[in-house]
Amino acid sequence: MTTPQAVSMDSLVVGHSARMKAVFEFLRIIGNSDSTVLVTGESGTGKEVTATVIHQNSRRRHHPFVAVSCALFSETLIESELFGHERGAFTGAIKDRPGRFEMAEGGTIFLDDIDDVPLSMQVKLLRVLQNRTVERLGGTRTVPVNVRVIAGTKRDLKQLVSEGKFREDLFYRLNVLPITLPPLRERPEDIPVLMEHFLQRYFRRRGEDVPPVSDAVRQALIRYPWPGNVRELENACERIAQTCTCGAVRVGCLSAGILFRAGGPSLAPPPPRQEPTEDAAARVPSPPVPAPQPMAPVRTTQISLDDRIREVESTLIRWALQASGGNKSKAAELLRIKRSTLGDRINRCGLRHEATAEAGG
Amino acid sequence: MACTLPLQLAMVTKEGVEGVLNRVRPYLRADGGDIELVGVDGNSVVVRLTGVCAGCPSAHMTLHVGIETALREEMADFGTLRVA
Repeated sequence: MTTPQAVSMDSLVVGHSARMKAVFEFLRIIGNSDSTVLVTGESGTGKEVTATVIHQNSRRRHHPFVAVSCALFSETLIESELFGHERGAFTGAIKDRPGRFEMAEGGTIFLDDIDDVPLSMQVKLLRVLQNRTVERLGGTRTVPVNVRVIAGTKRDLKQLVSEGKFREDLFYRLNVLPITLPPLRERPEDIPVLMEHFLQRYFRRRGEDVPPVSDAVRQALIRYPWPGNVRELENACERIAQTCTCGAVRVGCLSAGILFRAGGPSLAPPPPRQEPTEDAAARVPSPPVPAPQPMAPVRTTQISLDDRIREVESTLIRWALQASGGNKSKAAELLRIKRSTLGDRINRCGLRHEATAEAGG
Repeated sequence: MACTLPLQLAMVTKEGVEGVLNRVRPYLRADGGDIELVGVDGNSVVVRLTGVCAGCPSAHMTLHVGIETALREEMADFGTLRVA
């Protein structure tokens, strides 16, 4: 279990990419809902940060946020961890112990690595999600729980369902509000912003100002494929802050792995080297995330704010129409705008066709 | 990845080492530094950092580790690297 850092929507650095902006807008929309969220993203893309943000921006924020990695526990332990146990339930159970669900009462539970929950346990989890009650191990009492569930996974759950490794019913129960976090290599335009942010954090921690960063360093960071995503970038920045001695961040401050992979055996763009499953996870459909942006040049000279906003707007409208099965009143409700406003926006974004198609289909 | 290297690639040659150095040279030069191949002696390679990064322990470490790893990957016979 970890304690959440206070993360407000405004303090969060997400970058300029349309995909992250869309994710962010989605987070705003779902803040006040109590529905289950499924966050899919490679390691280091910010699943737990996302969960924390959702919690902090919901009406549950004054209640506990409990994060559990389901990968940490063995098959037998996980049940007792999540649901608790009564004294004498098993050898070593010397006293009653509430589970993580009970500890999160009134708040949010973040079940990370949900794909690591063994099949036998998935049934029990499904029951909890459906009935909103838990039964402690070895107990007979049913305890009602009022907890919002956010599940996190690195893998494509749908794929696991088709392989028979994840229960379909549990998948549908979790996949109410899906969020897909794009890997950093698919949004290289965000790298400079994130770099500035992390450098500032770590240099400030040392009581120093951020020294000037050379163009070569920026280039190298943008070219590097970041298999560890934002977490890896954060670590790289921490390293720079710890080792830079000459008053300027130059390529020598980078780690060998980053510099040499950015240089690559050839000067062609480095090939993606993620496992196929992770890659597939990044493509889970459904959240309102616009199509990946083309690789932005290092220094984007101009972007059209209006176009970007319209892009985000139409993505979210499309999502709402889909989610409401084409019912515009419901879609308007989801977006917290008036029904008439939605009509105007649909026209403005040129989505009329899709709106009718959705209603027809 | 298991692949058998052709014999000439397994040997430590000046050209091979330059190839590895050239992967990072553009970055180093852009920052006002450079790396120089001092010599190849059997399986051992000696390189020297020049320019702005020459005196920096961090750069020293980066290049030592990076070049060593790259040489080891590309040349089966590679022995030791010294960064002068």
